[in-house]
Amino acid sequence: MNKHLTFVQFGEHGLLISWPSKIDPSINEEVLKMDAIVTATFSEEIIETVPAYHSLAVYLKSTVVVTEFIAKLKKTPSTSVKIELGRTFIVTIPVCYDIEFAPDMEEVASIQDITVDEVIKIHTEPFYKVYFLGFLPGFPYLGGLSEKLSTPRKKTARKLVEKGSVAIGGNQTGIYTMDSPGGWNIIGRSPLLFFSTSIGVNSLLNPGDFVKFTPVSLEEFNDIKGEIELGNYEVKKEVRND
Amino acid sequence: MIEVISGGLYTSIQDLGRFGYRRLGVPLSGAMDSYSARLANRLVGNSINDAVLEITHIGPVLYFTHKTEISITGAGFCPTLNNLEVPLNSRVFIPEGSTLKFGLPGYGLRAYLSVHGGFNNEKKLNSYSQYLGITTKETLEKGDKLLIKEYNAQPSKLTASVKVPKEHFTSENIQVYQGPEFHLFSEVIQKKLLEIPLVVGADSNRMAYMIDGMSKFSANEIITAPVQPGTVQLMPSGQCVVLMRDAHTTGGYARILQLSESAINVLAQKRAGEKIKFRFIDAEKE
Repeated sequence: MNKHLTFVQFGEHGLLISWPSKIDPSINEEVLKMDAIVTATFSEEIIETVPAYHSLAVYLKSTVVVTEFIAKLKKTPSTSVKIELGRTFIVTIPVCYDIEFAPDMEEVASIQDITVDEVIKIHTEPFYKVYFLGFLPGFPYLGGLSEKLSTPRKKTARKLVEKGSVAIGGNQTGIYTMDSPGGWNIIGRSPLLFFSTSIGVNSLLNPGDFVKFTPVSLEEFNDIKGEIELGNYEVKKEVRND
Repeated sequence: MIEVISGGLYTSIQDLGRFGYRRLGVPLSGAMDSYSARLANRLVGNSINDAVLEITHIGPVLYFTHKTEISITGAGFCPTLNNLEVPLNSRVFIPEGSTLKFGLPGYGLRAYLSVHGGFNNEKKLNSYSQYLGITTKETLEKGDKLLIKEYNAQPSKLTASVKVPKEHFTSENIQVYQGPEFHLFSEVIQKKLLEIPLVVGADSNRMAYMIDGMSKFSANEIITAPVQPGTVQLMPSGQCVVLMRDAHTTGGYARILQLSESAINVLAQKRAGEKIKFRFIDAEKE
């Protein structure tokens, strides 16, 4: 296997595979690829895996000896399995940047010394890459925020950030997929449902997807919310071709 | 069925955890002291995976509408059934229309109550463990009704009671492995990290235990990476945190050590102010 990888035991029944320590789309692609290989090859031995920016945790069944598993894993040539990486999507996410949903918008604009409209324009420009999910169920770690919007986290965290809130924390932007305490600067809210367990489990965003924010008015926000409640809203998702 | 007359400080339904969904950011959850939770289930003849009640510091008051059998393990509460004391770590018969009270524990922090058949409340993603956002409730409240699984078979000839080693509650030693960032410290610091006396801090909960005493040390933040229950994080400020069962699945602080499964159980019984020491698991024992 790739020689810049390190394999270490992580607790009684786990191991951690790490790549060079940086946030980099190509490294993350390797993480997701390894995730698919490990999951496909050793399904009998593993309970679950957790990918992140540059590392992958593999949690093993208690009957598996971690050191032996690591030795076996190192010997597995990455070409031995034909991996089917799941399809990934470009997901369009409507965001209402109205002041009602954006308690920190004016502060962000003033810190950056730009107008609110410019914040919205810059925030909705990129295709943000979903590196992995963590922090909250379905919460996407997104890469690609413009440096022009990089804003330090708030000094004290709010006790409640409402579900759907779109926020900036340092050089990251994200969506609170559930009600949660949080210290990021809230600049808008999306009416979409990001994580649901009503029928099985469903995360709107998954590692490898891309996110495109699109601004909507308060009225459109409410319309979309109504359509979602009636089950009539279809999230705009395009299959990524690459 | 059991009616909740009062919920206590923090009583929740837990099993051994919600496995298989951590890649989506869903915490593992499950009984903080899984050793005691398993024991409670075994005493009434349940599967170890059945759901139990986790009772924290101030116990609930429960009313049993039907006869059943229960057992209570973990922290040293002095529970009473219709005002008569009931033993811990034993199978206890509950007559119809009984009231069970807990009060406060003399030692330890968390008790586990199993009921013959297991609890049958909201099950989400293959687990009964209450975690707000995944389940609709986080703790028991006055007026809640606890459902019990149909279970006709009588408990077979089980041991009616067991003796739990005292060390489970008194041991100051918390067994650890090296964490992924442990090697970033010099050998001198590595040695010191395992020598300093530590104290369980206030604000410790199901998500994390605050550990006081490491403020002389610090570690830089890391690129967000996987964490799990038992991961010991050291922050740039010197604050030390041990992640517990409801921990997030990824985190951005240095993972200096990793508790053994049994060490998580031991720590789960510690209260704020209690002393602990991290100790490496002997190589021979592995």
